[in-house]
Amino acid sequence: MDLGLFIELAMTGALVGAMYGLVALGIVLIYKTSGTANFAQGAIAMMGGYLAWLFAAGLGLPMWLAIPAAVAAMFCFGILVERTVLRRMIGQPVIMVVMLTFGIELLLRGAVPGLLGSAVKRLSLGIPEAPVFVGEVLSNRAYLIGGGISAALIVAAIVLFNSRAGIIMRAVSDDQGASWSVGIRVERAIAIAWGLSAVAATFAGILWGSMQGIDWSLSLLLMKALAIAILGGLDSIPGVLLAAVIVGVCESLATGFLDPIVGGGTRDIVASVIIVVTLMVRPYGLFGHEQIERV
Amino acid sequence: MFYRRAGIRHTDYRHERQLWPLPFDRLLVAVVVALLLAAPFVVDRLYLVAYLLPWLIWSSAALGLNLLMGGAGQIHLGYGAVMAIGAYTSVHLVRIGAPLELAMLAGGLASALIGSVFGAAALRVKSLYLAMATIAMQYIVDFAITHIPGVSGGGQASIEVPPVRFLGLPIEGDLRTYYMALAVCAVITLFMLNVGRTAFGRALAAVRERDYAAEIIGIDTFKYKLLAFWTSSFIGGVVGSVLVVCYLRSVSPDQFHLDLSIQILAMVIVGGLGSVLGSFFGAGLVLFAPIVFNNLIGFAADRSGIAISTDLRAHLPLMLYGALIIVFLVVEPLGLAKIYDNVRNYFLVWPFRTARR
Amino acid sequence: MRLTRRTFVASTAATALIGMRSAIAADEKIIRFGMPQDFTKIYTFVTAEYSQGQRDYISLVNGRGGVNGYKIVADVSDHANDIPRAIEAYERLKREGMVLVDPLSTPVARALVSRALEDKINMVTAFSGRSDAADGSVFPYVMPLSPNYWTQAGLIIDFFRQQDKDLKGKKIVLVHIDTPFGKEPIPIFQALGQKLGYEFETFPYTPPGNDQAAIWPQVRRAKPDWVVFWGAGVGQTTALSEAIRNGIPMDRMSSSVWISESDMDVVGKDAVKGVLKFEACASGRSPKVIADILKDVAGKGQGAGPEAKIGTSYYNMGVMMGAIMVEGVRVAFNKAPNGPITGPWLNDGLTSITDFTAEGLLPAMTVTKEDHQGGGKGRIARWDGTKFVPQTDWFSANQDVVWAEIRKSAEAFKNTGK
Repeated sequence: MDLGLFIELAMTGALVGAMYGLVALGIVLIYKTSGTANFAQGAIAMMGGYLAWLFAAGLGLPMWLAIPAAVAAMFCFGILVERTVLRRMIGQPVIMVVMLTFGIELLLRGAVPGLLGSAVKRLSLGIPEAPVFVGEVLSNRAYLIGGGISAALIVAAIVLFNSRAGIIMRAVSDDQGASWSVGIRVERAIAIAWGLSAVAATFAGILWGSMQGIDWSLSLLLMKALAIAILGGLDSIPGVLLAAVIVGVCESLATGFLDPIVGGGTRDIVASVIIVVTLMVRPYGLFGHEQIERV
Repeated sequence: MFYRRAGIRHTDYRHERQLWPLPFDRLLVAVVVALLLAAPFVVDRLYLVAYLLPWLIWSSAALGLNLLMGGAGQIHLGYGAVMAIGAYTSVHLVRIGAPLELAMLAGGLASALIGSVFGAAALRVKSLYLAMATIAMQYIVDFAITHIPGVSGGGQASIEVPPVRFLGLPIEGDLRTYYMALAVCAVITLFMLNVGRTAFGRALAAVRERDYAAEIIGIDTFKYKLLAFWTSSFIGGVVGSVLVVCYLRSVSPDQFHLDLSIQILAMVIVGGLGSVLGSFFGAGLVLFAPIVFNNLIGFAADRSGIAISTDLRAHLPLMLYGALIIVFLVVEPLGLAKIYDNVRNYFLVWPFRTARR
Repeated sequence: MRLTRRTFVASTAATALIGMRSAIAADEKIIRFGMPQDFTKIYTFVTAEYSQGQRDYISLVNGRGGVNGYKIVADVSDHANDIPRAIEAYERLKREGMVLVDPLSTPVARALVSRALEDKINMVTAFSGRSDAADGSVFPYVMPLSPNYWTQAGLIIDFFRQQDKDLKGKKIVLVHIDTPFGKEPIPIFQALGQKLGYEFETFPYTPPGNDQAAIWPQVRRAKPDWVVFWGAGVGQTTALSEAIRNGIPMDRMSSSVWISESDMDVVGKDAVKGVLKFEACASGRSPKVIADILKDVAGKGQGAGPEAKIGTSYYNMGVMMGAIMVEGVRVAFNKAPNGPITGPWLNDGLTSITDFTAEGLLPAMTVTKEDHQGGGKGRIARWDGTKFVPQTDWFSANQDVVWAEIRKSAEAFKNTGK
């Protein structure tokens, strides 16, 4: 086994996984506070990428202004979605909410490329392409920076959840009724959670978009994010970080070492297999809490 | 005035448990059946092939999924994979010479087996986790189909369906394919109409409402959930083979991706969970909305002369489709079946008014 | 207005009723080309520009009086790569009397093959569809009218041979999308590898190809002499970015026909200087037809899309296909001036096209009843930072290997499909 290849793939995998983890962060945030899974997260990431492109190329803003503008806009969008649409679905069975998020995904996937153009768009973050050599092992700058930013954001989320606002959100996720009776504004907390997850998705969209170009395929980040969320535990933010690294490394190594044996394409399967194995062995993920149903 | 309810007296339980006790309901059903049977001779060919036939097939699929979701309350986001297994199995069997009837049943069995295997693994968990497990199943089956050349047909990756005979008649041309799809749909509909009246159906209903309560009164929840998966997957497999033989006439992996699963899911939910009529309505709406929007937009763009960019024009049906689903779920979560119910209730006592709510 | 249930249901019903009617005024002297294509799903990267090219060319022809007094109608719609929608569009267009359909989508083309053969409607499968449809004896009504992927592969290998004089002992690597489209050229590359003596290795990546981070380090370690990358849309731009990041020299990389100026722009125009691609028709605005369109169609504000796109690779491919189709109509009129305008009538015309170059846009193309590909000529072009510059003349190569593969595959279809 080529050790150099192994290390290289593992490193790239960990960094790429961290970037997927940003999308998973959004899913976990929403699940923690409102108990629903948001299958539109990939489409929201795509929309965030498109908005950044719109501000940068369409309106001519410099990058350091366009990105915060896009982030702010998406934060408002997240709150808007929660307020108008999700509010009405309180109390409905979970499958209805899941279907609703699928509907949102379709709507965004149609509206955003339709209005802004479906050709692949360029989003340049100014990261030079030259590779960085660590000994024999090559790592490219874009992944280092992208992975680094993602990891930093996830750590920031962990820190946030220990602050006052974070404690409020944890209370809401634990027991909405009790939170209400203590005086916590539950709707506000949920709305903020949606806004923050849209922000996380936007960062992911911008990072991925700068590497592959902005088009509808950004919405496909969803599947990997789901695998990470389940592996780490749907209600655990530190779990996202660890699971992201694991999923990224597994995928990378699978592509490197299993593909020649199987004949290609194992990358996508890894996420699915991880989901199935996790659900069979440890359903609530590495760090998730078991859901106890009370009669 | 229409639904005459006076004078209907039941003298035994069998009579009381009829599917359609009111004569007007029976009349409606008879009219619909007559229309469906006469369709090839009455309706323009375009509508037969491009609208009625897919509508029948997709309704059957929605019925199968409805058994699992509306009947047993489980979530299945991988129904496309189930149909794919059935389709591929039956096409391969037909190509090596097996009769179509056997191939269809074998396709159903294969789907049921593989579907139950995944079901058994996934049924440890509930709702959301089950949904993710079924998505994982979809991707794994996708992968298996495309990467095993024996299954997918190798490089060209689409396998033509050879001419087949069903119950002795060669299935070719619009007439025969339509009637074959109609026959299969009729069988599945009859099954679904009656399943709620059997012990199996009642056990599923108990599991759906409160599974631990069902466990307490002696229903083995795991066994019934698994049976629901099994039956639903069997139906899915059979519908998959009908889809390929009657409509697509060739099978390739592109046709059975996650999009198909979400489409059938949308049909079931928009139609109304648990309702047979709802599956038909939902299938019609979800199937035809993009086509209708497409034609509408083309019509409007031509007439009014507004130059919409091609991009926007092409994406509008997708947008409207997503918006339609969202609006339906928000406005009428019980689906089209509930709307039909409301209309029926209105006419039940017409020209009098219903009691104020 | 509050969105009550009643208003919602009523408005939906009304919309459905209106939408069911497709109102196109019946015109006397028209020839209808059906163009249901995928604008929104997988082929988004190419369809908009391709369709613009087709429609602009047809506007040009109509502006000059049409063909023999008949106007060509380009009936464009979106099928989103969804088979039921495609079949509905096909049936609807058939009812309106189309004689030619161009789905520009491989899965849709495959699904429609049996229908087109039965209904005797010419199905153009430009650069897509079934490669074995070049064999007109098995597929009388499926017309690729363009070099298929096997031809492109053969041509690319021959270019490498011309550059290196001898490929014996060299290593050629194919990085491809893991779909039937991506796997299609592999038999040709392998056959030529045995013939010319080079080592051949493949690296598939999962569709749509936005994550190739684990592929290219392996490519780098394989130390190839030539890299062929075979994908579409985002797969191509990601492949190029990853190649740059892994230090693979751009001038040893070649793509199939599916790469365009906008892809170059996404990765960075200067960063990808030197990349090669297969060209089926001339690119840029210099060919006479393109200049004519700029003057007579776009200049008069009747262009079907943004003017900036005129002259890009996919636009010119659309013009090329439009030109071939119209030439087919013209030849059909020469052979049977009184029509009637049907599929078989147009088929006769399309299969009699001889030495057609569309005023310098394409290599001389000759279509016969047996050869629906049109000769299989193309050339290789290199990106110089602003445009694609042709490196060779129009040539065809390795057609013997390609046709062996075509016949083998067509045989299989004949034995099982019919």
